[in-house]
Amino acid sequence: MTRKRSSTINLAQMRKHFTVKPLALGVASVMLSACGGDRQDATVYTSVDQCVNDNPEQANICQTAYQEALVEAERTAPKYRSEQDCEYDFGPNQCRVVNNNQGSFFMPFMAGFMLSNLLSPGGYYHQPMFASYSPYSRYRYRWLTADGYDFGDLRKRHYKVSKRTFNPKPSVSRTISRGGFGSSVRAKSSWGSGKSSWGG
Amino acid sequence: MLRLPIAERPDWQVRAREYGFHFHTMHGQPYWDESAYYRFSLQQIEQDLEDPSAEIHQMCLDIVEQVVRDEALLTQCAIPAQFWQPILDSWQRRDPSLYSRLDFCYDGNGPAKLYENNADTPTSLYESGFWQWLWLEEQVDRGLLPRQADQYNSLQEKLIRRWAQIAQHYGIERVHMACCMDTDEDRGTVQYLQDCAAAAGIGSDFVYIEDIGLSDTGHFTDLTDRPIDTLFKLYPWEFMFDEQYGEAIPAADVQWIEPMWKAVLSNKALLPLLWQRFEGHPNLLPAWFEHAPPAEIPDGWVRKPLFSREGANITLQAPGKPAVSAPGPYGEEGYIYQAYAPLPRFGNNHTLIGAWLVDDQPAGISVREDSSLITQDLSRYLPHIIA
Repeated sequence: MTRKRSSTINLAQMRKHFTVKPLALGVASVMLSACGGDRQDATVYTSVDQCVNDNPEQANICQTAYQEALVEAERTAPKYRSEQDCEYDFGPNQCRVVNNNQGSFFMPFMAGFMLSNLLSPGGYYHQPMFASYSPYSRYRYRWLTADGYDFGDLRKRHYKVSKRTFNPKPSVSRTISRGGFGSSVRAKSSWGSGKSSWGG
Repeated sequence: MLRLPIAERPDWQVRAREYGFHFHTMHGQPYWDESAYYRFSLQQIEQDLEDPSAEIHQMCLDIVEQVVRDEALLTQCAIPAQFWQPILDSWQRRDPSLYSRLDFCYDGNGPAKLYENNADTPTSLYESGFWQWLWLEEQVDRGLLPRQADQYNSLQEKLIRRWAQIAQHYGIERVHMACCMDTDEDRGTVQYLQDCAAAAGIGSDFVYIEDIGLSDTGHFTDLTDRPIDTLFKLYPWEFMFDEQYGEAIPAADVQWIEPMWKAVLSNKALLPLLWQRFEGHPNLLPAWFEHAPPAEIPDGWVRKPLFSREGANITLQAPGKPAVSAPGPYGEEGYIYQAYAPLPRFGNNHTLIGAWLVDDQPAGISVREDSSLITQDLSRYLPHIIA
């Protein structure tokens, strides 16, 4: 008898939470060396104070970048179902529980934040950095980004990086305006609080 | 077709969290309801729902073929004139479509009657293609349903295959996907389509509709300023036509999913046009335009805006009863009428069947219940089996 339903569904692929994000190997070294032209200085700070010591004039940027990196960290950090799984990758006492609308899970603490272009009028770049202290991890004592780039030894703090480190998707056109779609929804949203979908 | 009670999976909310099903409860009301399920016979599924879905889809395409070449009919569909040519072009190119849902009135006996064709932005896809599939697997594993129980639901398999075909058609490896902000349901639907695309080896970049930008070169851009060249949008064409960026659409050179000809296929003007062409077809209800009522108006009728979503602005005139209206923001664009055919009742529930197609292939059903005759977005979703 032929079945009328999908014969198999890859459940692992459908699972949204608690899956271990693979950490890519060797990507950073490519990024660090291959993009000669547009490389820029970047520094990893493990605290706001460290950043302020280095950049006394930019204390407020240090503070803002740190806060933004924290928020970003919560969004992008690897998530684990159990504290044990998280500690296996990041080490004892290196993980905390997070509760958000997607559930409850464990993620590593942000170990530092990478900052670049502090003085540029075009704006600075930042991203959260993580560090593993786990004897089981091949990334022990190394700086990692949320998407798994390995920046090498924890003792190293200064880097020459491509802008793409912060914005891995290259800019190829200039956007002159935003927000030209969506007005119908704003106009129609006044109809009750019950609207849950603009599909049907 | 029976409605049967069954024990809920004790851990289903945990499973929902695990799989990212975040809208099983909406506005404090249950939306996913597995305290019961519907049982169909194979004959009911194949003869009454699957075959008619394929046939009605082809009939609808016949109407689209007629409308895209006829300015009077395009006007009747309330489609702005500057999009007539792009719509015709997209139709003549046969720009590939992804999926749609036909809503049927069906009680297990006799022909299912078509209510409407949600061909542009149908939702409840994730709960149909994946979540009710998982429910059946787990209830069989727990011994609550027989091992041989089946389900009319090859949605996920077909969606993955269709993504691969579309990618090949356009020669793409990545696709942008978009929906509106602030709706878990739409975001969840798009995430599901992203998952299906990923299973077909296609990467996706998500952007909210409201975040889309316009570049100096006339292309739409995402938040990282990359041009959008292929876009799946869970956002109605008729909204886009009317909005500020509407006039930029023809020059923006986007491969749209769903394609622009779906602005016709999803239009409720299709219903009277279907009746004009295929009058008396067993799966159709008599339907007419407001300005052209039939000589004899049926005792009961339903009035629907051309563009309404989720039952909004529908007026229902049951024979010999006061008319009932659902509120909403639609209707400026005009209305169509359809003969009254009330949803069947199972207990206190009014039950609506959604029949899915992936491109032109029938792919499964969804069953929704509402406490009212007009199915709105507070309706509940129940799983089904074939046994």
